[in-house]
This record gives sequence, C-alpha cells and structure tokens, in this order.
Amino acid sequence: MSLKLEAGWYKHAIIYQVHVRTFVDANGDGIGDFAGLAQRLDYLQELGVNAVWLMPFFPSPLRDDGYDISDYRSVHPSYGTLDDFKNFLSIAHDRGIRVIIEMVLNHTSDQHPWFQESRSSQDNPKRDWYVWSDIDTKYRGTRIIFLDTEMSNWAWDPISKSYYWHRFFSHQPDLNYDNPMVREEMWQVMKFWLELGVDGFRLDAVPYLIEREGTNCENLPETHAIIRDLRKRVDEQFPGVMLLAEANQWPADLRPYFGDGDEFHMAFHFPLMPRMFMGVRLEDRKPITEILQQTPEIPASCQWCLFLRNHDELTLEMVTDIERDYMYDIYAGDKAMRLNLGIRRRLAPLLDNDRRRIELMNGMLMSLPGTPIIYYGDEIGMGDNIYLGDRSGVRTPMQWSGGWNGGFSTADPERLYSPPILNPVYGYQAVNVLSQKRTPHSLMSWMQHIIAIRRSNPVFGSGSIEFLYPANHRILAYVRQLGKETILVVNNLSSAAQAVELDLRHYKGNILIEMFGRNIFPRIGDLPYLLTMGPYQFFWFRLRKI
Amino acid sequence: MAEENLLTDEFLRQLINVGEVDIVVGLSTHNNAKTIGPVIGAIQAGILKCFPRERVVIINADGGSQDDTTELVQNASIDDLRRDYKVHALRTLHCISVRYGRIPDPGIALQTILAGADLLRAKTCVIISPDSTTIEPDWLQRLAGPSYYDNLDLVCPIYRRQRFEGALVRDLLYPMTRSIYGSRIREPYGSEFAVSGRLIADFLSNGIMNQDWGRMGPEISITILALTGKYRVCQSFLGAKRASSRGHDVVAAVRRTVGALFASLDGNFPFWSTITGSQPVPTLGTATELTQESSRINRKHLLETFASGVAQLGEVLSSILSLPLLSELQRIAALGVDEFDYPAELWTRTVFEFAASYHKSTINRDHIIQALVPLYRGRSLTFLIENRNGSEQDIETREESLCADFERQKPYLLEIWADRK
Repeated sequence: MSLKLEAGWYKHAIIYQVHVRTFVDANGDGIGDFAGLAQRLDYLQELGVNAVWLMPFFPSPLRDDGYDISDYRSVHPSYGTLDDFKNFLSIAHDRGIRVIIEMVLNHTSDQHPWFQESRSSQDNPKRDWYVWSDIDTKYRGTRIIFLDTEMSNWAWDPISKSYYWHRFFSHQPDLNYDNPMVREEMWQVMKFWLELGVDGFRLDAVPYLIEREGTNCENLPETHAIIRDLRKRVDEQFPGVMLLAEANQWPADLRPYFGDGDEFHMAFHFPLMPRMFMGVRLEDRKPITEILQQTPEIPASCQWCLFLRNHDELTLEMVTDIERDYMYDIYAGDKAMRLNLGIRRRLAPLLDNDRRRIELMNGMLMSLPGTPIIYYGDEIGMGDNIYLGDRSGVRTPMQWSGGWNGGFSTADPERLYSPPILNPVYGYQAVNVLSQKRTPHSLMSWMQHIIAIRRSNPVFGSGSIEFLYPANHRILAYVRQLGKETILVVNNLSSAAQAVELDLRHYKGNILIEMFGRNIFPRIGDLPYLLTMGPYQFFWFRLRKI
Repeated sequence: MAEENLLTDEFLRQLINVGEVDIVVGLSTHNNAKTIGPVIGAIQAGILKCFPRERVVIINADGGSQDDTTELVQNASIDDLRRDYKVHALRTLHCISVRYGRIPDPGIALQTILAGADLLRAKTCVIISPDSTTIEPDWLQRLAGPSYYDNLDLVCPIYRRQRFEGALVRDLLYPMTRSIYGSRIREPYGSEFAVSGRLIADFLSNGIMNQDWGRMGPEISITILALTGKYRVCQSFLGAKRASSRGHDVVAAVRRTVGALFASLDGNFPFWSTITGSQPVPTLGTATELTQESSRINRKHLLETFASGVAQLGEVLSSILSLPLLSELQRIAALGVDEFDYPAELWTRTVFEFAASYHKSTINRDHIIQALVPLYRGRSLTFLIENRNGSEQDIETREESLCADFERQKPYLLEIWADRK
C-alpha cells in the first residue's frame, strides 16, 4: 500500500533514523531484520514519528556498515528478503509512516559485479563505469575525507594495473557519472525501489559525483545537472517522492543543491548541528544565530533537515579551527572519542546525561526551521561505546527492556552483531523503552509530548523565522510565523537562571499561551516583555490576540 | 559586596545581560576619544588571542565624557547583531558603558568597575588606562594570566620607561611602599593592574573607600590592602609605557598617591610597624627596563621650584620638619644647579618626617601634601644630575641604594611616629 504523497509532506515529518541491523532481531540470529522492524512500528507510531529513514540494507560486504553496496536491487540476507522489506513498507504505510531509504550514488563496493567487470580488463564494457587512471596525481586539489585511514583518493588495482578513484574508503570505488550508462543505470535502481513504494531517498555523498581537473571535485555544475535530471524523472514519474541531500558543506555551498526548487527537496544543515552543541556549552547564542544568519533562503518547496546526532561522528568539518579545538576539548576529552574530523558519541553522553540539556537541545531541534531527525535510541537517552572502533560505538543494539540482550534479540549475547551497552549508567538495564514507557516523566514520554506539540502546529514545519536579539546573549529567542499563526520560542542556553527582556512591541496586545502546559502568560504591552527562565529552560508560546 | 547605591539601574540591567563572567576588563574614562580607539582595539585583540574561550566583558566607567569615548568602547562589542567577518570570536564579547556621574572621579570609577566585576563573579579584573596607547594585545595575558590561571590576587605592572620618567614612583612611592609594607613592588600605583575576585570582594566589603586613603587613592589602596591582607602578589613586565599626553597635575598626582600612602599608615600601623627589610615579589619577565632616550627636563626650573618652595613655605615646613632637617634644606636651596645635591639619606628623612606629620595632622593634611611637591622637585633634580651620564645599571644601583636608605631609616619613622609634636 502506498501513502498519498501530499506535496511538501516532508516539511511536517518527524524522521526517525534507524539501521535495520540495530533495531530488533526477529529470527534470533543476533542481527536486526525487517521482520523485527515491522513488529516495532507500533513503537514508532506511539512515539509520534511519521517517517523512517533506513540506512543501507542492501547486499554488501559490510566493510562500511552497508555504504559499500554490492547489489542495489536486493536486501542483505542478514536483514531478510525483498518480501520482508515489502511487508515492512506496507505496515509502515498502514500506520502513516513514510519510508525513506538510502541511495549510495557516488560509489559501490569493490565487490560489486560492476567493479569486478570493470577491473577485469581495459576493454570490458563496464571499464568506463568507474574512474580509472594510469597515474595517481590527477585531481590533486581534492581533499581526503577519511583522513584517519586513507592516504590518497587513488588506489592501485593490481588486477587491471591502474589506479581507481575513491573519495571514501579504498574499497569503495567511485562510479563514473560522466558515463551516461551509469547515470541511466542508477536511475533504474531508484525506479526499482520507487515502484515498490518508497517515499523518498537520502542520497549519500552527492557533492562528489563528478571529477574535474583544477577543481576540488566537489559541488561541480555537472553534478548539479545530474541531480536536476534525477529530480525531473522523479517528479514526472513519482510525484511527491522526496530527495534528501547528504552534502556536508557550508550553507552557501549547499544552497545550489536546492536549485530553483528543481534539485533536492531537503538537505542536511550540517554546520548548524555542532554550533548547537557549542552554543549550549558556551552558554552563548552567537554560534547558532551566526550560522543561521549565513544560511541563505531556499525555495518555498524546500526544507532543511536538522539533526542532533546520527550514525556518523559529530562532524566538525564545517567549523573553524578554533571552534574545532574547543569542541574537541569540551566534548571529546578522551582521544578515543575522536574520529576523522569529528566526535563519535551519542547525544546523551555528549550532554553528560543532563536531562535538562537533552530537552533543550531537542527543543531547539523541533523548533528551528527544518525537519527534525531523531537518531534511534536518542529518544530514550542511549549511551555509546567508544571502544568499538570506527563508528560502531553509536550503532549498538536498540535497548527495548532490561531483559535478555536488552530485548533486542533472543540469540546468545556472544552472537550479537555488536555488544549491547552494558555500563551501569547507559546500559540496557538502566535505559530501555519498557521502563521509560512506564514512567510518565521519562525522557521517552517527554519526547512523545514534544513531538505531538510540534506536529500539532504547521508553523514549525513551514513557518518563517525571525530572530529576536535580546541583550542577554544566553537567550536564544525567535518567532516562527505562518499566516496568522505565531509562535515565540525562547531558549535559555545557560546552566543558571536568567532574566531576559524581549522586545515584543510588534506583537502588542497578544497574550502568550505556553504550549506545553497551556498556561496563559501576561499580555504583551509597550514595555519590554520580562521573562525569568530556569537553567536550560525553554518556552514555546503561541501568541493569541483575544 | 556591591554598595547599594553605587550602581545605577541601567548599569544593573546591562550586568544582568552580561551574566557571570570569567574576566572583566575595566576602563575608567573621561573624554578619551583621542586615545581610546587603539586601546580598545588592543584589548579586543588581546581577549580574542589570549582568552578566546573565557567569558569576558569590558566595563567602561565614564565620568561624563562629552566626546565619543563611550560609543567607541561600546562599538568594540562582538555579538550576533553586529556582524564583522574580520573578527572571528567563539563567543559574545559585551562592551558596556556606565556613566557614574558628571564629574570624573577615579575612585568612584574604579569602585563601579570592581562592583560590576564582583556582581558578575569575575575571577579576575584587569584595569587598563585609556591613555595607554602603547598597549599590545599581550598585555591582557601578562596581567590577567597570573591571576586567572595561577590564582595570584594582584598583578602589578612593570613598564619599560625612559630613563628620567616615573620620578614620583622611583623617588618616593616605590621606596616608601617597599620599606613600609615590606614588598618590592616597582609600580605600586600602576595605571594597569589585575586583581582577583576575592581581593575585589574584600576591597568592596571592608569599607576602604569610606576611609581617607581609599578615597584619595583607590588604586594604591588596593595594593596596600593586598599587602596587609597577605594576598598573593606578583608583578608582570608589560612593555613600553608612554607618559600621558594630557596635562600632568603634579599636586593632584602626589595627593592621590603619596597622600593615600601616608593616610594608609594610620590604620595599618600594627602591620607595618613590625616589618623590617623587604622581600622580592614574583616577577614575570624583566624586573626593570629603561630606555636610553630621555625627555628634555629643565633643571633650572626644578631648582627654582625647590628653592622658592623652601623659601616661601618656610612656616609650613617648620610645622612639618625637624629644625636640623629644615636648615639643611635651606642650605641646599641656596646652591647653584651644578653643586646641587639632595642626597638620598636626607630625602628619606624628609619623606618620613612628612609622613609622621601627616599622621599627627600637625597642620592641614592637604597642605602637608602640597608642601612636599617642591621638595620632590629638588630630589628629582638630584636624580637627573646623578644619572645624567649613567647607564641603566647605574640608575638601578642608585635606586636600590635609595630603597636601602628607606629601609634603614624606618626605625626613625617609628621613633617620630608617636613622639613628634
């Protein structure tokens, strides 16, 4: 069954990011699967999310957690079958939950048959499906992304005795998008899944599709042309389907990915996320307002995607050196927490398991302009394991209960794809869905509440934003507006109580209705509106003229 | 603790917006628009360079400037309303101004800044003179660093000076403070210094500003409080300090420094009376540095000031000084420039007799201070003559000798302290 895809549905979505492998294991083999995921869709529905973003679930040697795909038209056997996926999709749609899947366009696994053919001989018809060279000095202006593991963007292939281009791991050769056959084939792959009923794609690593000498091989015009072509085909054949760009770039460089509303519908706002963490720790709104001031307007049909944490490290590529040093010192004192240019930690440990800060960060996530993404487990405050290597520490089994394997799997614990979190603070016996469901004031219950409020008002998804600049820099305040609906958001970024005077004269005569408790606050007059706020407190006020 | 009526409501509102900070940089101003630009620029650069992560606020206490002083200070703010892509700062920097009154009063200005620092719970407060156009960004580190990082309570400056600059400090304030309070602080009355939060709290709470010496010389009174309270004191070399281009009122300067120092002796007698000799204080960087360049000083004018002072103030001086000492001064007042000599030993006794008379209030205290000025001119003349061709080492040796005289003759001060009529 397909859900009716209203235009702009993604603006009002609450997206839940999950890896099939990590969520629930239905067949007891120690690895999460589609059958398990389908069983727990009621949980997601209860939580209030209305879209799920699945990380890659395709056949893969799993050397990069599935981002190294060896077959684009099937399901990894560990996660089930294509029929299992279809069943999951159908149940999700029945529950009003849309499904966004990952599409890794830029590269394949070196185990993909295309690459095997390509490397087999210089004359193979698929030779030109990848980027080959006799020398390893082309495209020298291109940065290396995985600094901790890769020395070059070129790797020597001993079989065809030439170099192939890879922007990520050397076992992930880049596809050659200058070849029309590659472009057509990748569209056919997308079409395959669209015909099954998926509602959107998260397109991985899109800035890197095309290479040109003398450039940094990122964000090239030819890349945008490819995106526009894909979008055109989507709109013509599958209207309503959403394309989400993963492009870790500065806002000004990201803006072209929206085109004139004819490229991506959504793009992650990567630079905002570390600055939210920075702002809370500095107790200063400046990092947040500054990056949003630098964020260009986007077409009306487009939307930013906001997130606090995801499956990768907390990326610090889009910050200055001084900011990166600060973030490392504050959030990753233990060097084991650092990976590439980022910090491999989950939300709760990053925030010292401080409930007030977790709520504040989620409050901003839900009220700043964009569509929020919740990373699985963060809604209950799951912890991480920085000793698991690479980014595996933030991809541990979902914690459903305090029982066997945290309710994730009935397999022997030794058989799980990853050890669950066991420590006394964040382990499954302390942090799990079952116990939080029983507690009305648990983090999960609170998340349910805030999601419900966010979804109750379209202003958050589609409204404009205007920042107020109270003299107290610890207060981040903004007005969201859509039609006659106006919402005032006031966040105290400080660990101490604060007094703030807001210039609300423009809204004189309105009363404020606090959206969580629905209490009435005094009417706005000519004088500055005085609020006193507790540590890390935030308010969402609906303005009403009565 | 801040005094209730010291701070205006507007200032309090600004403090509320600033919130808790780590470091306060204080500027006391009055019509400083001509010099404040580079000073505030260097302060801002110093904060960004040396304390990029710390919560810092610049507090400007202004005595009713008629020019753009306060605007220039406020414009150095870094926040999300003023986007300046040339300045990259991790966090907001507030620069706030408060007009404490229509008449400039350095004491109230300093008290206002310190009260602000106290309310904001600053760990360190750095005071910078708006006339210090030779300031470099590193001054922030050199002043605030020892207090902020190493918990020193008072950081006094050491400047690179021209050979004949800073006569009042060199001939009187340094040797006298050193002998009385036992610590070798070269600039006990620096126009730049840093003070810890706990010393600020003590200063504000123990009513020093209600006493004569606090009112007269708030800056030197902080130094004295640090010494008598056994706070941790150090000095830090800053670099060149150019004398203010503004008119220099020697009488006012002597009143504010020597007057305060003399006045401090009354209440602190139990402390200083037991001290003999002096101890060095930790010093960051070089302890003293003089440049060979020297400004032109009219020696004849100095002699005339001294001679006419001794002649015209005979009656006043006789109320202050012992007869033998006055006679000796009258003798040297008759000498020509080439033979003139006001030796260290005599100068020391002069200062001590003035201090004792001040204590006994033999005449109006302010008249005592004013009467010291021409004598100080005479001593300055001797310094010029002695060091005309002297090297930096020579000058330092003579300075050390003068200090030794002050320490050696301290028993004389104790002797006349109670006895002198």
